[in-house]
Amino acid sequence: MIRIEGLTFYYSDTTHPALRDISLEIGEGEFVLVAGPSGGGKSSLGRCLNGLIPHFYGGKIYGRVLVSGLDTLKHSTKELATKVGFVFQDPENQLVSLDVEREIAFGLENLAFPRDLIAKRVEESLDTLGIANLRYRQLSGLSGGEKQEVAIASVLALHPSVLILDEPTSELDPKGAEEVLSIITRLNDELGLTVILIEHRLDRVLQYADRLIVLDDGMVAIDGEVRDVMTNCYPELSRIGIGVPPVIRLVQGLRDRGVRIGRVPLTVKEGRAIIRKVLENAPPVQDTSRGNGREITNPLVSVERLGYTYPNGLLALRNINLKIGEAEFITIMGRNASGKTTLAKHFNRLLVPTKGRIRVSGLDTREATIAELARKVGFVFQNPNDHLFADTVYDEIAFTLKNLGFSREEIEIRTAEMLERFQLNEYKNHYPRSLSGGEKQRVALASVLATKPKVLILDEPTRGMDYRLKSELMRFLDEYRTEGNTVILVTHDVEIVAEYADRVILLSEGKVIVDGEKHQVLSQALLFSPQINRLAQSFERYGVSSKILTVSEALDILS
Amino acid sequence: MRSFRYQDKGTIVHRLNPFSKLGWITSILVLSLVLDSPLFLLAVFLSTLPLVKAARVWSEWLSAMRLALYLSAAIILINTLVSSHGTHVLFEAPFHLPLVGVPVITLEAIIYGAVMSLRLLSIISAFALLTFTVNPDDMMLAMIKLRLPYKSVLVTSLSARFLPTLLDDIARITDVQRSRGLELDRGRLPQRIKSRTAIVTALLSNSLDRAVQVAEAMESRAFGSGRKRTFYRDLGFSPTDITTLVFCLLPAALGIFMGLNGYGQYHYYPTVSWVSPTGWEAWLLGLMSALLVALLPLAYLKQRVDLD
Repeated sequence: MIRIEGLTFYYSDTTHPALRDISLEIGEGEFVLVAGPSGGGKSSLGRCLNGLIPHFYGGKIYGRVLVSGLDTLKHSTKELATKVGFVFQDPENQLVSLDVEREIAFGLENLAFPRDLIAKRVEESLDTLGIANLRYRQLSGLSGGEKQEVAIASVLALHPSVLILDEPTSELDPKGAEEVLSIITRLNDELGLTVILIEHRLDRVLQYADRLIVLDDGMVAIDGEVRDVMTNCYPELSRIGIGVPPVIRLVQGLRDRGVRIGRVPLTVKEGRAIIRKVLENAPPVQDTSRGNGREITNPLVSVERLGYTYPNGLLALRNINLKIGEAEFITIMGRNASGKTTLAKHFNRLLVPTKGRIRVSGLDTREATIAELARKVGFVFQNPNDHLFADTVYDEIAFTLKNLGFSREEIEIRTAEMLERFQLNEYKNHYPRSLSGGEKQRVALASVLATKPKVLILDEPTRGMDYRLKSELMRFLDEYRTEGNTVILVTHDVEIVAEYADRVILLSEGKVIVDGEKHQVLSQALLFSPQINRLAQSFERYGVSSKILTVSEALDILS
Repeated sequence: MRSFRYQDKGTIVHRLNPFSKLGWITSILVLSLVLDSPLFLLAVFLSTLPLVKAARVWSEWLSAMRLALYLSAAIILINTLVSSHGTHVLFEAPFHLPLVGVPVITLEAIIYGAVMSLRLLSIISAFALLTFTVNPDDMMLAMIKLRLPYKSVLVTSLSARFLPTLLDDIARITDVQRSRGLELDRGRLPQRIKSRTAIVTALLSNSLDRAVQVAEAMESRAFGSGRKRTFYRDLGFSPTDITTLVFCLLPAALGIFMGLNGYGQYHYYPTVSWVSPTGWEAWLLGLMSALLVALLPLAYLKQRVDLD
């Protein structure tokens, strides 16, 4: 189906190859998972398979790629469109029509298919994805997950035999991501489509994939059957920084202690069987008590009877009461449109309460300006690109300080301090937007932290980040907290919450449903439970605490 | 800003064939340009209102008209200050300007300015109705049928598609920069413009990135494959649509007839007088208004026929 021989590629104006001497063969109907750190060459490999490299992205290319017998050097992306379907990361940037039906017809129209055939294919694609109910809907009114489903349908309408998906879920919330991933596995299973999925979230798809290819620095670092790779290449995976699902990390942890385990589990269900055996041989160590929230007497931020209604009449928050202390690590969780971001925007007065009030270190937000609050409250948004506009990294960081009227010497001192702290000194005079994803995130963070805010808010900062960058960011936030500052994280990522937060605030329909210590909130909450907790819950009768959330907590009690 | 967008409200006006609406707009345009009489121009403007009402786009229409009113005010002001014709002098400046003479404000100039802006309001009102009730994709098809090149039409349709995305971008980036202490409303104009560069630069860079990604996605779906493109949807042309289109173009024909025969004309200078339509003119005025509003019953008829 696909044959790659000695493929090396340099983007134009670069001296470092994006892909190095890659040779692969992918068979018909295979489900291949491609993982690896950002900048490792995953997207470049995908682009080579449908001719975007070298026909859209120019550069130097060596070797060759054959897809269904067609050489991608000689056949352009347009010609390959009926052989290889490509679904991109951001659904927003791949949909070109206003309604669903026309979007699906777009590719077919380009290929000048007759109208009756287009009608047939549109029908077929809608049914395959199970989105016939969306057919006349406007794209602007769809959720991210629905948009991505439409994108997949529009590609399937061309009847490709290979489907490439480049991080199709990284812009989606967990529910949307889950739906898209289950559709992808179904397409592979039922239609026999060859699927090449580039993805960070391994835990949902590992069990369905036949093969895992790990790209690092443009080379194939690991290539093998999924369970083999997980069983035998674990140290290698950790070294490269692949986000291995917690169940596997737990079992690998047990193996390191000398527990004999044959096959590594890929699902929670398989994990249970293994842990049961372990527990039958040795009862769990009694758990030290955990899960006591602390009493906040002198709050840094206090929210009193807060209500907010948008100017269009949408009631977004109702009667919220919170006390947030110093040096807390808080996460705000909840479904889409439950009011998380709306609440966060109140802390620095991007939104002003329509009812009740918020005080930040004694200052009523209604009586302060955003700029005044910016010294106390820092806000980092999801996409670092929204932050970056200056000509150099130095100016970008100094910008916030200038806005807030710091003296020239102070600006110099603080900017230098930030460059040092975020290891950005070598990029000081670089154009921030040309940096890599992780570096951009650091610049955005540095530009906000330069004011040393007592409260740092981050709105879904880890969305679309690879495992290594995620851990790097979280470690930094943890450090910032230990310096006595409060970190508030709006996120969907349960595993991160389990690992790093101490308090979880769960919102639903604009109300606080639960507010408490993470072990209290996250355990036994079906949808929000981390993987290890779902595992632990089945072993209460063995004396395992159902409040266990992380791999290290689990390892502590398993002797 | 958000309201300047097409929304399918499913009214009989939304369901009309886009060509019918284009025909109707042509009529409004012809009438507004050919006629001079304030009475006739007022009738043209008022005839657009029942359709706005039936299309349930009042609030969108009002926000468009609010902008149009600023423009009207400017027209009246400039005309009043510049034109010194007319016999009813309301104000005479106590000084003399070289070349211009003594500046005067006349009743004629004010009225002429007001009627000019009435023309403009009719045209804007009609175009607002078109924008709010025709799906941009349908508009694209109509343009292609009128033999405009596909690529230029596609660009227009893509901008309609990405307008909401752009507005979201602006809102988000503004929040980001305000959180970084950027005060947009502080200082004088140059300062304010300067503070907006932070937003505009980020917005432009984001849009460029987006454009590359959109191009990549389009290419992956065989855009520009070299074959002559087909179109899945078609603007069906039923007998009712043709009848409607003819009816919609009748006012334009009537307008040309009136223009050639001197009906609906009026002289503002040198002296304004009461408008008193002659017997024939009163009939023509009634006929014109009736024909313009006839789009409504026709739209209703179309819905009935389509349902059968």
